[in-house]
Amino acid sequence: MSSKESCRNELRTAIRQLSDRCLYSASKWAAEQLVGIEQDPAKFTPSNTRFQRGSSSIRRRFRTNEINSTPPTGVAYVSTPVMEEDEAIHGDFYLLAKSYFDCREYRRVAHVLRDQTGKKSVFLRCYALYLAGEKRKEEETIELEGPLGKSDAVNRELVSVERELSTLSKNNMIDPFGLYLYGLVLKEKGNENLARKVLVESVNSYPWNWSAWSELQSLCTAVDILNSLNLSNHWMKEFFLASVYQELRMHNEALSKYENLQGTFTFSNYIQAQIGKTQYSLREFDQVEVIFEDLLRNDPYRVEDMDTYSNVLYTKEYFSALSYLAHRVIMTDKYRPESCCIIGNYYSLKGLHEKSVMYFRRALKLNKKYLSAWTLMGHEYVEMKNTPAAVDAYRRAVDINPRDYRAWYGLGQAYEMIGMPHYALHYFQKSVFFQPIDSRLWIAMAQCYESEQLHMLEEAIKCYKRAANCNDTEAIALHRLAELHRELGQPEEAAFYYKKDLERMEAEEREGPNTVEALTFLATHYKTQKRFEEAEVYCTRLLDYTGPERETAKSLLRGMRIAQSGFPSMDVEHFHP
Amino acid sequence: MTGVVKAPGAFAITPHKVSLCILVHTYASPSQISVPFPFSSVSQHNRLGLYLLALTKSCDDILEPKLDQLINQLREIGGLLDDWLTDHVTSRLSSLSAPDDLFNFFNELRETLGGPDSGVMDDDQVILDPNSNLGMFLRRCILAFNLLTFEGICHLLTNIGIYCKEAISSSSYEHRLDDSSNDLESLSEYENMDLNLVFKKINEEMEARKKATEQVSFHLHLPKDLSTLVEDVEVFADTKPEHNEKGGESSSYASGDLLRDVDPDGGVFLRTNWQIQGYLMEQADAIEKHGSSFTFNAFELTLRQLQKLAPEFHRVHFLRYLNNLHHDEYFSALENLHRYFDYSAGTEGFDFVPPAGSNGFGRFEIALLCLGMMQFHFGHPKRALEVLTEAVLVSQQQCNDTCLAYTLAAICNLLSEIGFSTTSGILGSPFSPMTNVGTSLSVQQQLFVLLNGSLKRAESLKLKQLIAANNLALAKFGLTHVQRPLLSFGPKISMKLRTCPIIVCKELRSSYHLISDFCCEGSTMTTDGAFSTAWLKNLQKPMGSLVMSQDNGSGNNSNPFLFFTQPSSIPGSVLQLVGSSYLHRATAWEMYGSAPLARVNALVYATCFADASSSSDAVVVHVKLIQHLAAFRGYKEAFAALKIAEEKFLCASKSRILILKLQLLHERALHRGHLKLAQQVCDELGVLASSVASVDLQLKTEASLRHARTLLAAKQFSQAAAVAHSLFCMCYKFNLQVENATVLLLLAEIHMKSGNAVVGLPYALASLSYCQSFNLDLLKASATLTLAELWLSLGSNHTKTALTLLHGAFPMILGHGGLELCARAYITEAKCYLSDPSFSVSDNPELVLDPLRQAADELQALEYHELMAEAFYLMAIVYGKLGQLQQREEAASSFKNHIVALDHPHDADDPVLS
Repeated sequence: MSSKESCRNELRTAIRQLSDRCLYSASKWAAEQLVGIEQDPAKFTPSNTRFQRGSSSIRRRFRTNEINSTPPTGVAYVSTPVMEEDEAIHGDFYLLAKSYFDCREYRRVAHVLRDQTGKKSVFLRCYALYLAGEKRKEEETIELEGPLGKSDAVNRELVSVERELSTLSKNNMIDPFGLYLYGLVLKEKGNENLARKVLVESVNSYPWNWSAWSELQSLCTAVDILNSLNLSNHWMKEFFLASVYQELRMHNEALSKYENLQGTFTFSNYIQAQIGKTQYSLREFDQVEVIFEDLLRNDPYRVEDMDTYSNVLYTKEYFSALSYLAHRVIMTDKYRPESCCIIGNYYSLKGLHEKSVMYFRRALKLNKKYLSAWTLMGHEYVEMKNTPAAVDAYRRAVDINPRDYRAWYGLGQAYEMIGMPHYALHYFQKSVFFQPIDSRLWIAMAQCYESEQLHMLEEAIKCYKRAANCNDTEAIALHRLAELHRELGQPEEAAFYYKKDLERMEAEEREGPNTVEALTFLATHYKTQKRFEEAEVYCTRLLDYTGPERETAKSLLRGMRIAQSGFPSMDVEHFHP
Repeated sequence: MTGVVKAPGAFAITPHKVSLCILVHTYASPSQISVPFPFSSVSQHNRLGLYLLALTKSCDDILEPKLDQLINQLREIGGLLDDWLTDHVTSRLSSLSAPDDLFNFFNELRETLGGPDSGVMDDDQVILDPNSNLGMFLRRCILAFNLLTFEGICHLLTNIGIYCKEAISSSSYEHRLDDSSNDLESLSEYENMDLNLVFKKINEEMEARKKATEQVSFHLHLPKDLSTLVEDVEVFADTKPEHNEKGGESSSYASGDLLRDVDPDGGVFLRTNWQIQGYLMEQADAIEKHGSSFTFNAFELTLRQLQKLAPEFHRVHFLRYLNNLHHDEYFSALENLHRYFDYSAGTEGFDFVPPAGSNGFGRFEIALLCLGMMQFHFGHPKRALEVLTEAVLVSQQQCNDTCLAYTLAAICNLLSEIGFSTTSGILGSPFSPMTNVGTSLSVQQQLFVLLNGSLKRAESLKLKQLIAANNLALAKFGLTHVQRPLLSFGPKISMKLRTCPIIVCKELRSSYHLISDFCCEGSTMTTDGAFSTAWLKNLQKPMGSLVMSQDNGSGNNSNPFLFFTQPSSIPGSVLQLVGSSYLHRATAWEMYGSAPLARVNALVYATCFADASSSSDAVVVHVKLIQHLAAFRGYKEAFAALKIAEEKFLCASKSRILILKLQLLHERALHRGHLKLAQQVCDELGVLASSVASVDLQLKTEASLRHARTLLAAKQFSQAAAVAHSLFCMCYKFNLQVENATVLLLLAEIHMKSGNAVVGLPYALASLSYCQSFNLDLLKASATLTLAELWLSLGSNHTKTALTLLHGAFPMILGHGGLELCARAYITEAKCYLSDPSFSVSDNPELVLDPLRQAADELQALEYHELMAEAFYLMAIVYGKLGQLQQREEAASSFKNHIVALDHPHDADDPVLS
């Protein structure tokens, strides 16, 4: 990785260039990373590290391996393109246009710059036109919504913008920003291959535009596509790769990339949030909680990604923390989908499902493609026993992203709930296909097979075995496996799983009816197998418990003693008085 | 959004509807004249009215026509008026340049409508009845306009601009993308200039016309005018194909990426909901009817477009499922089925009645029913049964009796289609309430109980089609199953172990009653959507080839208009059911052994129900007819007919035709003594029988039966017997009773040919008793013949027995048997006489010679060398005994010819083999 100082310089220039072109979110991102770079201890001043205080503690806690800061491959630096300044008069027009832009009067921008030919002006004009079209499109989507949800509102500027940009790019008169816009337009028009090509060109010649990278990321829907991209090496590429891996559910790869990046951008909130999200996908809730707590401390008005945090709080049933978070985001910005989602989560936790649905609906109104809101709303409908609505909500999630295993799982559950286990199987199968490492999914499928209607125990056993193999935290699988084998009259297998279950319970220091059941079975089993020593061990352990099992153990022990001591057994005695 | 079912009748105002409104306004302008201004005659006036009706109701596409299409059609119907009409529409449209114009326009429209009590009105005033179809249309348009927000009105205005512009620049369509959409304004201004001139001129003309008018009442139009009018309408109905062609063109043009921007300017509008529903219904029918010959991709494109334009219109997924199902795309069919039911919960579409006591659970049992039928279609009967079992449970829970009845019918269908070898454990516990005698019954018995239960349920729910289908299934069951007491304990009723043709007939007849029921209550049955579909169909072919219409027309062709306004109310599915009852009759007669009746029924089906039948059923009928031809007219005609059938069913159900071809080839090869070819064909049949998808038991039986026959012809008796024996075991195991009789008969023949007549006798007798209990009369006659032959070969002292048997069977054989059977009977008769020691040839030569000549004649068509040789041999002997040397030489040389032909089979003259 390049030195921190050079990163810092590159970013500083980039921020100026980006905001000069009104690419605000990209410049925001760049600025966040700039501040995220760890200060050299030499230049340490209290004011510089104001943003960075408090974060080190967590980093120390969770950094397992020290990151080596040597770059993995030689990094080819891309020199910052020299700004080509327009003439003074044109510069004036540009200033006017930019101030219009800042006031969101896009069409006026385009009008002011109508005759300008400088690259910067052309870009801003096209960009403004594009945004004007987008704005109108948003409005029209609502105006035009027909009875059947007709959603064919299109950005009417796309055609003209595309025509202009493609001419420019043919004549090689286009700068990286223009290319970014061109890629954006192409993507919107559905020409994904060309869009990818153009975006790659853009990021290769100007890598600091995070918006271009994100567009590219959204076009990388498979590993093959990612591998086919011809990207030149730059530290920005690492960010990109991490984010692609995250989206492609390659969580461990993403995590290692992010941890690598943290070597340079130690205090980047962005990276921290992404790590949190990845850990959430890996179901490491404790870590996620710490990470987000820390993030909120440093960046208290952050709304982005906070829905993940709220999910964790929900799972851990932290009522007050969740309400505090909801309060905080609503004060910051109540019309963000994330905020609505957090409130929905809170109401759901409180068991007020109607209210919860209302907030999820609001979130979806703000962003129709908000995946997790659809799924969460489905959960709420399940709670409200409104199966058709739940199924509909889940199905929408699945149609937005077919890899969303939670929604598939929800669909399965909903159908199982209304007594259609066979129909539900299809959905459970889908869900385990996309997330084969989640034991809960396997267990759900197994229970489906086990149900009274299907009674396909062999299949259920197979599923439980898979569940037991992938870290079944609730320890259902082993127990059920043992029981099923016992029911099927396979004592050897049953004993094997009872033993495993017992070992597990010992390791976790848990005790309960399952322990007693396991011990009883094992004792009886070994006795019938004439392996008295083992049987005795289990019997002795059983004696520690109260209840009828204790008596059973006693009688078992007595029987074994008699058998071992060579005396004729009780019933034989009975016949020979 | 989630869980909210949209009103199916939602209606949006579009430029096309605006131009329709203009036309309606012209049609019924509030003037004092009975024939309003631009129209010169009553028929012209009415023609426009009919055309407008057709436009509001038709459902042949999902998109509304563009202005230029409208203008083209107007040209077709307008006759002399076309210029005026098109100019009027375009000028009115282009005069709408500000939102206020639209307001005024719709206010004006309101005047066209009469008041609520316009039943009583002045004779000389043209006012649109608000409750008429056009009146309703107008009212809906006005209502939809009034509900529009201001933004909506602005959009409508823009869209009208685009709509007009497209029509004008349609000639330079390709270049349209190049001129920026900003010059719309200037364009419409230019139009205004041009058209306003025309408009002014017309206004003047209108004034002039108003003054000179004749007073003819609008309601007193003569029927004669109306009938001429129908002929006129046909003319523009012919434009439909062209219309469709356009659709196809655009869809092929819109393939790939281009599909995404079908029209970047948004000049594409969906038709009304009812129209689209109707269109989809029609397509669904077409898919089911044509099966795999339905074009997959073109329809998929339409569906994709529809989905894009109306994402909440979930029926699309169902259609996609159907399309995939009939093109054997398992995974996407499954995926789309699930998607449809996830979105709609089974409560969307035509037949959806908003639940009165809404239970809010959705109708997922329908999903299960569909899934079960799909699994069955793809050859997973076990899994299908599991799913259907679940459907039964869920239907019971949800108290959805209709679905339950259908599910039971589906299960019955499944059980009767696949032969289960195991007798228990297939239907699990959920059926015990229905079978209520536990699972101790065999599959057949369970099926019978289920069928009856399903029929009763359907009757109590008054599901007419289901009743008919169940009747058919029961008839089918009665055809092949003897009646047995269901209880294995208790006082046993004495039962004849026979099938009961009367029951079969009764069931078939009662299924046929369906059509009369539909005729009576036609008008109440047709929903709005189905009505419009039928309407359009009749528009396209007013004298269509539907049976009913033909009946109507031939009875009195004086008033076709009556028919025109009252479309045949019999839905296609009903026709299909009635048709299949004829198909069942044909099969039944085939089995019971009446060839003429079988043929007649097949012919009735082929001529009357050809339009309504699915392609697979049509193939079955053709196969039956060709088989009949082969048996009664010989191979030449059969192969000629086969060629025609092959051309007709080019891709659909190819396999069925292929099987028939192989069967015919095999038979002919056997007759000609071409054993190698016969074996080869037989092997091919065997391959077809055990395809990858699933095993067709019927075909498998047939293949091994033919295998045994081939071996028999090759005189490999022990092998033939072994094959036949294992076949018998299989048939017995799978309860194929009719086949059992055939196989037993074959075994008897094998033993007879191998010279073991004594062993053959019991087989023949067993076959005979099977035939008796299943009422297989023709087969019985044929078994009797074999029995006679067996007796005959036992020695000359049994000739009397043989002859008696033969004469008993003669009426049946001669009346219904094919050529081969008749010839065999004749030869056997001659042989009987000849071997009878008390019979002297010279006394009564014709008694022997006549049957032999008959036999030789009939065998000629079949090219059955072996039997022919035998006939001529016998003839030669008879002539020899009579001392007629010349005839004897002739017969002897014919005999020699056939023996040579048998030994040296040549297939040079075989066009079919290629």
